[in-house]
Amino acid sequence: MNLIGSYALLLALLTAVYAFVGGIAGLRTRNPLLLSSARRAALALFPLVSLAVGALLYGFVRDDFSLAYVVEHSSRDLPLPYKLAALWSGQEGSLLFWSWLLTAYLFAVLWVNRGRHPELMPYVGTIVAGVSMFFLLLNNFAAQPFGLLAQPMASGGLQILRPAEGRGLNPLLQYPEMVGHPPLLYLGYTGFTIPFAFALAALLARYPGEKWIHLTRRWVMLAWAFLTAGILGGAHWAYAVLGWGGYWAWDPVENASLMPWLTGTAFLHSVMMQEKRGMLRVWNVWLIFASFLLSVFGTFLTRSGVVSSVHAFAQSSIGTWFVVFIVLVLAICTWAFVRNRDYLHSDHRLDSLLSRESSFLFNNLILLAAAFAVLWGTLFPVISEAVQGTKISVGPPFFNRINVPIGLFLLFLTGVGPLLAWRRTSWSSLKKSFGWPVLGALVAGAAAWEAGFRALYSLMCLMLAAFVTLTIAGEFYRGARVIRGRTQMSFLSALGTLAWRNTRRYGGYIVHFGIVLIFIGLSGAAFNQDRQDDLPPGSKMQIGPYTLVAQTLTSEPGPNYTAEQATIEVFRNGRSTLMLYPARRFYTASQVTETMVAIYSTLRHDLYVVYAGRNPETNQPVIHAYLNPLVKWIWLGGVVVLLGTILAMLPGAGPTWMKPAGTGGAAAAAALTPAGTAR
Amino acid sequence: MTSAWVLAFVWLAMAVAPSTSERVQRLGERLKCMCGCNQILTQCNHVGCTVSARMLRELNERVGRNESDDLTLQSFVQEYGPEVAIVPKTRGFDLTAWAMPGVALATGIVLVLWVLSRWRRGPAAVEVGAVQERHLAQARRETED
Repeated sequence: MNLIGSYALLLALLTAVYAFVGGIAGLRTRNPLLLSSARRAALALFPLVSLAVGALLYGFVRDDFSLAYVVEHSSRDLPLPYKLAALWSGQEGSLLFWSWLLTAYLFAVLWVNRGRHPELMPYVGTIVAGVSMFFLLLNNFAAQPFGLLAQPMASGGLQILRPAEGRGLNPLLQYPEMVGHPPLLYLGYTGFTIPFAFALAALLARYPGEKWIHLTRRWVMLAWAFLTAGILGGAHWAYAVLGWGGYWAWDPVENASLMPWLTGTAFLHSVMMQEKRGMLRVWNVWLIFASFLLSVFGTFLTRSGVVSSVHAFAQSSIGTWFVVFIVLVLAICTWAFVRNRDYLHSDHRLDSLLSRESSFLFNNLILLAAAFAVLWGTLFPVISEAVQGTKISVGPPFFNRINVPIGLFLLFLTGVGPLLAWRRTSWSSLKKSFGWPVLGALVAGAAAWEAGFRALYSLMCLMLAAFVTLTIAGEFYRGARVIRGRTQMSFLSALGTLAWRNTRRYGGYIVHFGIVLIFIGLSGAAFNQDRQDDLPPGSKMQIGPYTLVAQTLTSEPGPNYTAEQATIEVFRNGRSTLMLYPARRFYTASQVTETMVAIYSTLRHDLYVVYAGRNPETNQPVIHAYLNPLVKWIWLGGVVVLLGTILAMLPGAGPTWMKPAGTGGAAAAAALTPAGTAR
Repeated sequence: MTSAWVLAFVWLAMAVAPSTSERVQRLGERLKCMCGCNQILTQCNHVGCTVSARMLRELNERVGRNESDDLTLQSFVQEYGPEVAIVPKTRGFDLTAWAMPGVALATGIVLVLWVLSRWRRGPAAVEVGAVQERHLAQARRETED
């Protein structure tokens, strides 16, 4: 199978070269046959890379230890789901997985748009084939997943080795979320290639107006949703597995995923300016270029060994490939922009500073400032080394101090933006819209102060959360009230109709509400408590309202590990509430020990218990307990964000619920019914 | 009377000054465990990590001797190298780490305000007498969201 995989990859590379070069030649000569064959070559990439992926997975499932990658990342006793997930656990496999997702996107975008947009799609196919070509070059020459284990013989040849057992998968990756988190993240990273390709294609082809924005809206949202899910999945994995009681450490790998997310979020907002007002054409093109380049740059950061990270891949020479690719893409984008910039001319005109246009500009500014701060902090050790000759470290205190105020201002804009009208907002309507939310924020602030939330940023966060929630609730309430008044349906049905009528707008509000929930969860971090003690069976530990009583310490065998497990009975107000089982697992193949955290999660706080091993001086079991307030709100917020994004991606029904006959209001509404949906 | 003042001063100093464990926690969050795990010193849960245990013991001793924060951090830098400190200093070249995000944001704000003022001076909207389909379509787009 390894031969099939190797040849499939080689053939895929040749096909990608043909799709790219043939596409360029077809576009230059306007030769339809050449364009058609280049398109077919691009479509063929996905089955070819799928064959290679299948071959590697087959190697994992059949424990083919002649493959170096399988030896490094698997073992016979590894459960099947983790054998499949081992595909993306190392450099070579994850880059193959990247190519696979990229070619899947390419296949999907060409298939969905078959027979449509003949001026644009050949450019899109050629650009994505070019990006695929780069990753296939890596798969074939820089990070080969089908490399064999071999040693030189005395005669001068090579002897293929086939060890009886592999080294096993990194125990930190043997957790259900690691089956889902990397694919989601990679789907997000690779997904930005599609809108990037459309933007560059529209620029090169001088494709009319805002059409590329309409064509890519769902692709951008899809990539953004995957990236969001991947980031939150990673945060949850860090929280539930790493055992340090936190979910975000501002590690370069985490930062690498946050940067394109921030620029992608800015893009999702600023495209509305282009759609509605024909503004920011240059800005939008560069925002999506930046999102794509940051996705690749993040990959470069984590794989080149340029920055130290808790979970970066091993240092390798692959960084040079990425630098060349990034410089090349940047040069092409700049060239295309300089050559065709007159096509991006916008008709800018602002009626008032108090308008949604202004709020979007500030929203973009803040998001980009956050992205820059993250990039700057991540790269500063490298810059410092280049300038001063000494490599320093930049850790969470720096990022928190810079980004927390930025985040709070962004939360404020999340509440303000939707209430401002396009073009102009009057002070009277502003006062009317903001009265209740401001009052609600003050009440929430007072209540939080009374409840003991005395940390400045946390208090501000809760007040802003109340403010934004009330502005969103107000939008839903006002809209549903109008529908109920006209249709006599129940308020709940009216809410549903409202959301269904304009999925994009109300889906967006739901996303904003999800972000509010995430911020509420983050605000709890200021009040984390922790305690560590020796806890032999029968002894107690108090943390917050909980009393932890150690019961037993047992040894439990697992499929590919042996676990030492503590049984902790948790009491609250003198009553036994639950049992927790924190453990440490010793993995036989890799000879590594890892912690298994036990978490009791409520909306108020998480009781997070780690069995930290035996105290070397007393030989007693050590329990490290944390009380982390509001963490569950982060995960709930993530779910709400994703639900909102799904709603926003669905096609809206339009205002067809309005009855066209009769009164002036209804008639006016009918007049505003889009032609395509009028009955 | 004097002793009462001294007692009051001591009480006040104790009330205002952070406790030893708080200082250890605060300073420990500005240092990195140097075992290679890249975690914050107070959060290192690296199994069998002897380095973080030794560093924390050292930090406890220095805080116990009531050394200043600067001296404590500096002594760690001398012993483990500049990478041990995870918060850039606020002097020398390190100051740019703190300044650049602020400079970038301030520049951005100035740029946005400049752009907005330019846009406000743009051509006035053309008044139209009759409502045309083109304007209706634009009104629809702008009132949808």
